[in-house]
Amino acid sequence: MFKGADGGKRLRPAYIRKQERFGFAMITPSMIFLFIMAAFPLIMLIVMSGFRIDLTYPAGNRWVGLGNYVEMMRDPRFRHAIQITAIYTFSTVLLQIVTGLAMAMAFLKSFRGQGILRVSVLLPMILAPVVVGLAFRTMIMTPEYGILDYLFIIVGLGSKPWLVAPNWALFSVIIIHTWQWTPFAFLVFLASLHALPPDPLEAAQLDARNAWQRFRHVILPMIRPAVVIVIIFRTMIALRAFAAIFSATGGGPGTATEILNLYTYRESFNSLNLGYGAALGTSLLVITVVISVIFFRMRQSRM
Amino acid sequence: MAHHMKSKWPIFLRPVMVRSLYVLMILVWAFPVLWVILTSLKNRTEIFTLPPTIIFRPTIEHYIEALLAHDILKGIFNSLIVACGATLITLLIAVPAGYAFSRVRFPFRTRLSFFALLAQMAPPIGLIIPCFLFLSRFRMLDTYVGLIAVHMTLTVPFSIWLMITYFQDLPPSLEEAAIMDGVSLFNMFLKVALPNAWGGVGVTAIFAFIESWNEFLYAVVLTGSRTKTAPVAIFGFLAAEESRWGPFTATGVLIMAPVIMIALVAQGQIVKGMTMGATKG
Repeated sequence: MFKGADGGKRLRPAYIRKQERFGFAMITPSMIFLFIMAAFPLIMLIVMSGFRIDLTYPAGNRWVGLGNYVEMMRDPRFRHAIQITAIYTFSTVLLQIVTGLAMAMAFLKSFRGQGILRVSVLLPMILAPVVVGLAFRTMIMTPEYGILDYLFIIVGLGSKPWLVAPNWALFSVIIIHTWQWTPFAFLVFLASLHALPPDPLEAAQLDARNAWQRFRHVILPMIRPAVVIVIIFRTMIALRAFAAIFSATGGGPGTATEILNLYTYRESFNSLNLGYGAALGTSLLVITVVISVIFFRMRQSRM
Repeated sequence: MAHHMKSKWPIFLRPVMVRSLYVLMILVWAFPVLWVILTSLKNRTEIFTLPPTIIFRPTIEHYIEALLAHDILKGIFNSLIVACGATLITLLIAVPAGYAFSRVRFPFRTRLSFFALLAQMAPPIGLIIPCFLFLSRFRMLDTYVGLIAVHMTLTVPFSIWLMITYFQDLPPSLEEAAIMDGVSLFNMFLKVALPNAWGGVGVTAIFAFIESWNEFLYAVVLTGSRTKTAPVAIFGFLAAEESRWGPFTATGVLIMAPVIMIALVAQGQIVKGMTMGATKG
């Protein structure tokens, strides 16, 4: 409220102090909460990664320094999890951007019945990921009886090992994530396209030779900020993915769909090896921070 | 602006393509949900009939089985307590913070609001390992308070940011008039700004509720027999027997029902809230 430069000067210092006290009072509860429940646990996560904490054999718990990290570097399952996480994150984000953008371009022209479309695409995003994962595992991807597999059979493509063959399972969990979240990209792009000024588009109508050139040289540069934001949002969410994969494949078959989140979970809460789990969790924290810093720089330089 | 866009396609062809895409999209995104609802109403043999039946005599046997035999009722009750509790406390602390960050000047304002953003990026699996250890140390595993507190690490950061955006959208003239009348700072928030931001508070409440209602990872780690939420319960009984599609879909419908109803009532606001952060850049 008191943002105007001259307005600030006219107010007496006592009033400014009062305002500062008021501001701090308003943010204190949430800041204390976030410190205790988010900042402090993350510090403790890093501390825990320096210990051997095995709940199945508490007598052996001790300080191991970088021991967990040394073990991690030698752990082929960790390398595999990183690889799966990279494939999963990259392909889900790419698929969401490409399909979301293509669909939004098709609906540039608004028409009656868009409300039904909006509700339909909104549905997957608000459903519990665990229900989504279980529904795909059973009613959609079960051989023969799953509706998707049934469709594949009747159109002549034949039954597929959706969740049982390693490569298919990875493909399937990527499809499940893309199914659930492409609507976000679609809705954001639709909103940005509908907010574009009409003049450059009209000019492009005359200049550009075809629809692709119009898209590439006129529309895409204008909605680039939205594309960058969607990439950032979706990458951060893909890195947090858990429930849908956990319920669709449980990380399997074997470790075929075991992203770093799932490996960390299995290590911490199935094997109850919390120290090593904390080291895996810390590596995920580092990856998340590094990627956010890169994104942050990218956004600043491009816009 | 949309009507300026013309396609290379003949005019009679384009609407057909767009219209088929329209139907295809609705099928792809709404059909799995409708399929879950349909299956929940079929009897056990009809579920496994090929080709799948669309017309059948509906039954509610799976709902009765899910609610009685599988203790899903308790899971839904627990989910309601946790989601409502988390939403309420989140609003209580995030709405004032959102107001202060957007309208009040104080030192470290930008840095502290950035801290709220960082908290949102913390990987949940990294957060749950220390939280699990603390909560078990303080004997707070399998309690509502423990799960609500951990769910709030998800809801508080985005609620602060949503509220910042909504308060920023209020015209400054509202408060300028109130200053002239000598209204206190707190009353400015409570009686001037808040009544004009109820829409934003409502959307924030919806997002917080859905987030907590659907949450699985924290719930599966932190809850036991007493406070098991619905998403954990549905996972549990399908893990026991893979072919129980009936009770599974019935439970799925019960879990989806509240959020679908919210979506039908407030779809415009939800879409706006979701895309707002992205389109404002």
